[in-house]
Amino acid sequence: MMPEPAVAPMTSALDVRICGVSQSWVRDGAQHEVLSPVDLHVRGGEFVSLVGPSGCGKSTLLRIVAGLQPPTGGEVLIGGDRVSGPRSDVGMVFQEASLYPWLTATGNVAFGPRLRGVPASQRRDIAHHWLDRVGLSHSSRLYPYQLSGGMKQRVAIARAFANGAQVLLMDEPFAALDYAARQTMQELLTELWAEFRKTVLFVTHHLDEAVLLSDRVALLSAGPSARLVAVASIDAPRPRAVDGDWIDSETRHLRQLSRGQERED
Amino acid sequence: MRDRWKEKFLYGAASILVVWGTWELVGQTEWMIAKVFPPPSQFISSISSGFKLGLASQTTDIHTAILASVWRVTVGLALGFVAAVALGCGIAVSGRFRLCVMPLLSLLAPVAPVAWIPLALVVFGIGNSAAIFIVFMGVFFTLTIGCVEAIGQVPTRRLEVAALSGATPWQTWWLVVVPSILPAVFSNLRLNFVAAWMAVLAGEMTGLRDGLGAVVMNGRNLFDSRMILLGMFLIGVTGFACDLILRVIQKKVLWWPSNRE
Repeated sequence: MMPEPAVAPMTSALDVRICGVSQSWVRDGAQHEVLSPVDLHVRGGEFVSLVGPSGCGKSTLLRIVAGLQPPTGGEVLIGGDRVSGPRSDVGMVFQEASLYPWLTATGNVAFGPRLRGVPASQRRDIAHHWLDRVGLSHSSRLYPYQLSGGMKQRVAIARAFANGAQVLLMDEPFAALDYAARQTMQELLTELWAEFRKTVLFVTHHLDEAVLLSDRVALLSAGPSARLVAVASIDAPRPRAVDGDWIDSETRHLRQLSRGQERED
Repeated sequence: MRDRWKEKFLYGAASILVVWGTWELVGQTEWMIAKVFPPPSQFISSISSGFKLGLASQTTDIHTAILASVWRVTVGLALGFVAAVALGCGIAVSGRFRLCVMPLLSLLAPVAPVAWIPLALVVFGIGNSAAIFIVFMGVFFTLTIGCVEAIGQVPTRRLEVAALSGATPWQTWWLVVVPSILPAVFSNLRLNFVAAWMAVLAGEMTGLRDGLGAVVMNGRNLFDSRMILLGMFLIGVTGFACDLILRVIQKKVLWWPSNRE
């Protein structure tokens, strides 16, 4: 058998460097720390998951990377540039698809190109191309209320790609889906990632999901003052078996890792 | 769903027919009430028998009266809607502007459309501009306040998605905020339609010389109960038709939720 080409071309994938990012709120004159300073470097084209119990600030961290809120301390560099606000080459997929209800699937996917003044026929082609890639070529004229949860998330992913996102930030994107839909979406995401090698930062509270999808898993401790407990590489070769024992053993390993670290505190 | 609709229609039609039938029966008698309240068969038929309004050179057809009233309320509402969305957005953009304008709006909003009639007649005289002014002033302030509230309820997520897609502030307003609030402002408009409709009719009864309100007043001046009832009947039917059109726009054009997924 011929060896696979070592690495897919990664010319456009930007890296994400989280440098000492912390977050705290001031309430009643007292400072409440949500997130202790976090350092994490996501290489260009890498798939990294952030896992932690609910309320540990992983979504906050993702919003800071997206430029939706400024960190209390530290900074985020994307492709070497300091993040000071949302940028169109960083796409985000939320737990709820957050599509515009007055636009069809096509309209939602073509929204970014429309903002940049791409002519109507061209942006329709772009939208159809990406809808096709996420398996929705037959639903392009449907409105969000006509789509299932999984279909909406497909549209949201297509929207991020159509907008030219080089970094994909995903905030528990499959958490609201049922088991079967989640599995299909995981497969779809793996497929798209393998082909386009976007840099992905994926927030989830399912360890097994993180293990299945990621190159590395970053474990956060419970909040408040959540901190990065450990970053573990998942070395299982791709394509990965969805239902292998390897997921269980990796998951167990990570669980021990995070527990062990917390006991040291 | 469909059956429910049929049921509603059947019951509605039946109850209207019963009232109508009773009225017609009473109308056949020689009682006094039959003279004061001539039944529909008598006053509706006057439309087809070349009914004219006014005297000598100023006569008009009945459909001119309907169109005059509908035109006034439509233009007034449309202008009020557009202006309210524009001012509402302006208020929402600037905090200081908001602080200056909101108290004014809160004072002016309770001034009912009918209360603008005397002023409108003084300023504009008798004509379409007076009627349009009445409707406009009657709905503009309430709609603007509603619009500001609707803007406050636009889900943050919709704005974040716009920012992540690379929208400029102007694009965010035009492509996200405005479509988000339109259904809410429009449903507010529909709620205010009745008041606007009443104001136009009252204006036509007191100052303006044409329109459906003038038909009723004409009947009064001529002691012609048929003309009064015809005017009232047309006011009811036309108002119902206008509301139906607004409801269709609400359901088919501006159907999406303002502040939910």
